[in-house]
Amino acid sequence: MIFIDSLVFQHVRNAREGNIDFDDFSQKVIEKSEKIQKKYLPFVTLVEKPVKPEKKGKLFYLPISVKDCICTEGIQSSAGSKILKGYVPPFDATSVRKVRDEGVFILGKTNQDEFGFGTFSINSGYDIPRNPLDPERSAGGSSGGAACLTAVADFPHVALAESTGGSISSPAAFTGTVGLTPTYGRVSRWGLIDYANSMDKIGVIGKCVNDVALIFSAISGHDPLDSTSLDIPDEDFTKNLNQPIKGMKAGVPKEYFEEGVDEKIKKIVWQGIKKLENLGVDIKEVSLPHTKYSVASYYIIAVCEASTNLSKYCGMRYGLHEPLDGNFDEYFSKVREDGFGEEAKRRIILGTYARMAGYRNAYYLKALKVRTKIIEDFKTAFKNVDVLLAPSMPVIAPKFKEIEKLEPIDHYMMDILTLGPNLAGIPMLSVPCGAVNGMPVGMHILADHLKEKNIFKIASSFEKVKK
Amino acid sequence: MNTIIGMEVHCQLATKSKLFCGDSTTSKDAGPNINVCPTCLGFPGSKPKVNKRALDFGVMVALALNCKINANMFFSRKSYFYPDLSKNFQITQYEIPLAVSGYLEINNKKIRIRRVHIEEDPAKLNHVGGDITSAKYVLADYNRAGVPLLEIVTEPDFESPKEVREFLEKLSSILEHLEVYDSSWDAALRVDANISMEGSERIEIKNITGFRDTERALAHEVIRQRGILRMGMKIQRETRHFDAERRVTKSLRKKEFEEDYGYIFEPDLTKIEISKEWIEQLKKEMPELPDHRANRLVKEYGIDEYEAKVIIYTDKHLADFFEHSCKIYKNYKEVAKWMITYLLKSLNWHEISIRESKARPETFVELLEMIDKNVITERLAKEIIKDYIDTGKSPKQIVKEKGLEGFKSIDLDDVIKRVIDENTKAVSEYKSGREKALEYLIGKVLEKTKKAADPKKIREMILKSLQMI
Repeated sequence: MIFIDSLVFQHVRNAREGNIDFDDFSQKVIEKSEKIQKKYLPFVTLVEKPVKPEKKGKLFYLPISVKDCICTEGIQSSAGSKILKGYVPPFDATSVRKVRDEGVFILGKTNQDEFGFGTFSINSGYDIPRNPLDPERSAGGSSGGAACLTAVADFPHVALAESTGGSISSPAAFTGTVGLTPTYGRVSRWGLIDYANSMDKIGVIGKCVNDVALIFSAISGHDPLDSTSLDIPDEDFTKNLNQPIKGMKAGVPKEYFEEGVDEKIKKIVWQGIKKLENLGVDIKEVSLPHTKYSVASYYIIAVCEASTNLSKYCGMRYGLHEPLDGNFDEYFSKVREDGFGEEAKRRIILGTYARMAGYRNAYYLKALKVRTKIIEDFKTAFKNVDVLLAPSMPVIAPKFKEIEKLEPIDHYMMDILTLGPNLAGIPMLSVPCGAVNGMPVGMHILADHLKEKNIFKIASSFEKVKK
Repeated sequence: MNTIIGMEVHCQLATKSKLFCGDSTTSKDAGPNINVCPTCLGFPGSKPKVNKRALDFGVMVALALNCKINANMFFSRKSYFYPDLSKNFQITQYEIPLAVSGYLEINNKKIRIRRVHIEEDPAKLNHVGGDITSAKYVLADYNRAGVPLLEIVTEPDFESPKEVREFLEKLSSILEHLEVYDSSWDAALRVDANISMEGSERIEIKNITGFRDTERALAHEVIRQRGILRMGMKIQRETRHFDAERRVTKSLRKKEFEEDYGYIFEPDLTKIEISKEWIEQLKKEMPELPDHRANRLVKEYGIDEYEAKVIIYTDKHLADFFEHSCKIYKNYKEVAKWMITYLLKSLNWHEISIRESKARPETFVELLEMIDKNVITERLAKEIIKDYIDTGKSPKQIVKEKGLEGFKSIDLDDVIKRVIDENTKAVSEYKSGREKALEYLIGKVLEKTKKAADPKKIREMILKSLQMI
């Protein structure tokens, strides 16, 4: 048996042995979280008194945070949006129920871009989380709060996060944390507040690969409540940690090192790739020819789905309510005008347009066809390699001042490296790879559908040699 | 001026639970918004899950309507803002429905079916203080939200409201034979109809409940549209609704464009494959269909084809009633005659179905048996049927309570003899040529027999007696 270690593993072992007093420990963690909140604003909701876990499971007494778009029974879940302010779900997301069953307690709900609409967490209906390495800079997005807290917490903690187009890889890369976006359908979406259902994936952000593998093993698995959940046997991903990787094959997609990616980042990631080569990984260049269409395809599909998902928020059944005035059209419009932020409105309008009769064929249906091409690119590449290696983000975490100058299209281009894999529904993990100007750079490890084990093998070894 | 009508028929499928969640479809005694859950209320984070039984039902109907079933089907989101939709989109089918290109035959005419698809029923809206155009406010009951609906879209093949009614009756009978539909459910069958006079714009009448009202709405619309054209005016394209109380259609909105529902594939559900094996299995499970049953009734019970069709297409439960009655009473032709001529007339008068009435085969045949045994006359039996439907008391009990027993033809001789003896004046008037006096005497006999005897027979017997005087 291979000994796996980390702050989280040590803590769980201690707790299971009865060495930890829950009230004492949880209170300390909450106090620390309150201090972190004052400085870096990772939370939308910070729990005052956590619920004491009953089951002495594999994650006993482990504090976790949950991205605000993942429903938690009894705790406000508003997907970072004002329109869902006050919404307390009557049920847990399946992923939340699963970790609760293993004995975790929930610290709070982490901040995000409203409904996941963004790359820097500046589109939140609440505060904007800061990058703990430089509070002038973004912690990434949309799972910015999750990564911020993970990076800064000095106590054992793992974050449940979510990605549609790169919302785990972006903040993980920007904060120097490890972020896993699983295969689409690997983790149940029951209880996930939808952004774009055909791409939404619940994943994990942790301080190290070991922590991520541990939590991911707990949340993955078939769920009859989600029709898109894959009916496959459960796996223990910690078995792939600290395994030999000699002879594994890694592809480097040339399109992911082209224009638009910071030269310094390219250099750092290449250094990382060389380290893997030194460990015996066979490196070869591959091509993903449809990469240039991924931004267009992703944004059309995402906004089409999102614009239908957001229709239900109208102040009638839950969330934001206003005094009843006028007919229902007028009332709904008023609530939506006040409750949604700029970016949400932009995406509703874009999405409604792209699926209108007359435009539907040219945009929505075309984008679906392009998506198939992008999936074929990856399938072809994975015939010859076990993983693909690339930079996670084209830049280091930008300053808020720099972000202000960006046009919406510049924001969307930031996702150029993450959109393809997210469209394809393949698993990916961002692991810290070095630094540029003192800010972390993430390396992206991508694998074929359901081949997370390849990712964990590579990432686990890489993490050790990197230091 | 030819009338052209096409329809979209929505029938609620009588599955135990809703289309996309486990809530009950049937507990009707529940108060408003009781049979609900996060999914049918569209709560954030909830997801739909397809009820496979609803698909079974849909496939069986599609087979009965001679449709081509698509091997792979998808659900889609149809977007529109309306408070009866908990998600402000409806999960329905668009590009690839369950089935296409079928037909249903009525009176040797094929009505073509364009498509059959499955969707979720919206919530029920309760317009308080008026109808849709005048209500003060609206209450929404999501108990109905998510009940499976089968939408059957016809080609514009109907030429009269009567044909529409015949189609709906036959369709309803098919659905009931398949046991996929329960006509007793509130608003189990709803129709959107497009109607135009050849060469003119079409009018859509939305959301008519039941086939009686559909025929009425369309009949009203034929008269209205012809009236407009006769006055030399043009018909404008619009959507109307049917005011069931006043039995007229009213304008809802002018319709200049096709509505744009911005369909996308439902990303929470996967492609559903309807395999040949699945279809074959359902074919095996499928119960006897109306056309087959009509042929069988003719052969097995020796009744007319016309009678068989009336019995079956009016209501599946009427056909069940017939066959059940025939098990306990062997003169089948009499059963058919009495059901069609008198029982059905009484039901129609009360606007209730056989199932809603208290009529039961066991009690119904009592009537025929009493006629056979000369306990009552046919005329009396016709009177008793009304009471029977009204009160639900058995015919035997009615006869007993009203003291109608024993009015046999033998007794009639006595009564007539007495009436003649007691009304010598009328007798002599008749003798002197006043025909009306005979009617008076017949009336007196009827009075004494409590209307139990047949007037024709009384007339014959009185004439016979008078001849002897």
